[in-house]
Amino acid sequence: MKLRFSTIIVYLLVGGYTLLVSLPIVWMFLSSTKTVRELFSSPFALPQEPQWSNFAKAWESGISQYLVNSLIVTTLSVVLIVLVSALAAYALARINFPGRIAIYLLLIAGFAIPVHTVLVPLYRSLNSVGLLNTHAGLILPYVAFGIPFSVLLLYAFFLEFPSEIEDAARIDGCNIWQLVLRVVMPLSLPALVSVVVFQSVFLWNEFSLALIVIRDDALRTIPLGLTKFQGQWSTNWTLMLASLSMATLPVLILFIILQRQFIRSLVGFSK
Amino acid sequence: MTNSVQTYDNQSEKPRKRRRASARQRSEWRDGYMLVAPALILFVLLVVYPMFNTIYLSFFNYGLTDARIRFIGANNFIELMGDEVFWRALRNNLTILIVSVIVQVGVGLILAALIDRGIRWGKSIARTLNFVPVVMSAVAVAILWQLIYDPTVGLANRFVSLIGLDPPSQGWLGDPRIVIYSILVVACWQYTGYVMIIILAGMQSVSQELYEAAAIDGATEIQKFFSITLPSIRNVNIAVILITMIGAVKVFDLVYILTRGGPANASQVMGTYIYYNAFTVNRAGYASAISVVLLVFALILGFLQLRLSVRPREAA
Repeated sequence: MKLRFSTIIVYLLVGGYTLLVSLPIVWMFLSSTKTVRELFSSPFALPQEPQWSNFAKAWESGISQYLVNSLIVTTLSVVLIVLVSALAAYALARINFPGRIAIYLLLIAGFAIPVHTVLVPLYRSLNSVGLLNTHAGLILPYVAFGIPFSVLLLYAFFLEFPSEIEDAARIDGCNIWQLVLRVVMPLSLPALVSVVVFQSVFLWNEFSLALIVIRDDALRTIPLGLTKFQGQWSTNWTLMLASLSMATLPVLILFIILQRQFIRSLVGFSK
Repeated sequence: MTNSVQTYDNQSEKPRKRRRASARQRSEWRDGYMLVAPALILFVLLVVYPMFNTIYLSFFNYGLTDARIRFIGANNFIELMGDEVFWRALRNNLTILIVSVIVQVGVGLILAALIDRGIRWGKSIARTLNFVPVVMSAVAVAILWQLIYDPTVGLANRFVSLIGLDPPSQGWLGDPRIVIYSILVVACWQYTGYVMIIILAGMQSVSQELYEAAAIDGATEIQKFFSITLPSIRNVNIAVILITMIGAVKVFDLVYILTRGGPANASQVMGTYIYYNAFTVNRAGYASAISVVLLVFALILGFLQLRLSVRPREAA
């Protein structure tokens, strides 16, 4: 292939832009393994001697607890979101019952409601049932706010589910729960994985609700935990950047492994 | 039920069949309601009810630590009309909306076009690297950029010095005139990759035959972009613009972490002003009035997006 001038320009544009976008993240990971002095003297050089102790220190200062909290909250929320959304989406897509369309529209219209517009009532309700400052108080709204997007995505998938399989399961004597949980859901893994990846990344990073629901340091999720270090380590940049790196790595790894499913869920969202 | 059956004529077969069919139908209905119930109950309790509660509370003088609430009619809304900070917040949301749409969709579109048809090697690595900021938490992004914007030793200062400009004397986040643009740089840095990914997926479903036919006619790549690519992904572009607008109306995390709406409310947006009123100065009623305004904007944009997303699929 002949290398034309315009082709080189395009490569330089895409490469240069991509490099520029990547710089802050490269800097974050590089700096997290340096000494404070190195960080300022040569920001983009490799560390002379990797300071893994930064990670150890950040880990012991609470990051480990925050990561565990985020893992608990995210996992439970995502499992519940997938379960209730799959059941609802199946019914809405495959069963003809009165009010079906109204319920479908109500559920998916909910995705337009910004969480900030309901912070006050949620705070009141959670307070009155004693769920303020608990993980359950975070998980319940997470599930509710995860429903619209998940139902939308799964509904589209279930519409095309082959009815022969449903009929066969019915003939085998499956009741409706067995049909959905044992037959339909296992055969819908690609769609379920899309929902799982999307919601996991979103909830891992969620901040606004965590900010009003969680008070105890020991219950903080990772974004909320990072804000504590924001004040505490405003001068100790290497520790701050090590914490940011540790908060980012889990979603980054999840994204790289399941990139295709994640992008598919975004594209489904935009269609 | 039985009453309606009796109104049928004497042919004894007919009502029977109907009754049997409706019994099966009713059990099917019951299945449907049972499956929908968990999602519907959670959703109504934690999304729909709070939404109406917000509208209700917007007519009261009320703070979260207050024991009593006092009805004050539309006073919160009247106060809102004269509240300079509220207008500033609204204007900032609008600035973010306009700049985000232009920059994120503009750059995202160009970048997607170059990756889709301009380069042969490194497509997926370019796609992945540009998307990494999207999966980071906005809190981590904001803290990272706070360090980059550091007024004495930050990378942003070094960068502008490198290209021969003077860094702002009051700092990137300390100068009320530029603070909203400093925040916008971060927002565009984080979300352009998101727009790019969606547009790129749209471009990849454009038929290659169209491009081949155009090539036979001697069209240049730029002509192909305007006469084939753009018209083919029109719906994707509209969807992406709406998603970007909804994001601009909802913005909170970035602003809250970077500036808390400061300095002197210069970077206040609706989200942060709601939080400030409800949880910092104990004016939940007033915060609810702001929430109602935000809700109206969000619902209009959401409605437009739903029309776009539900219509074609139902027709198909």
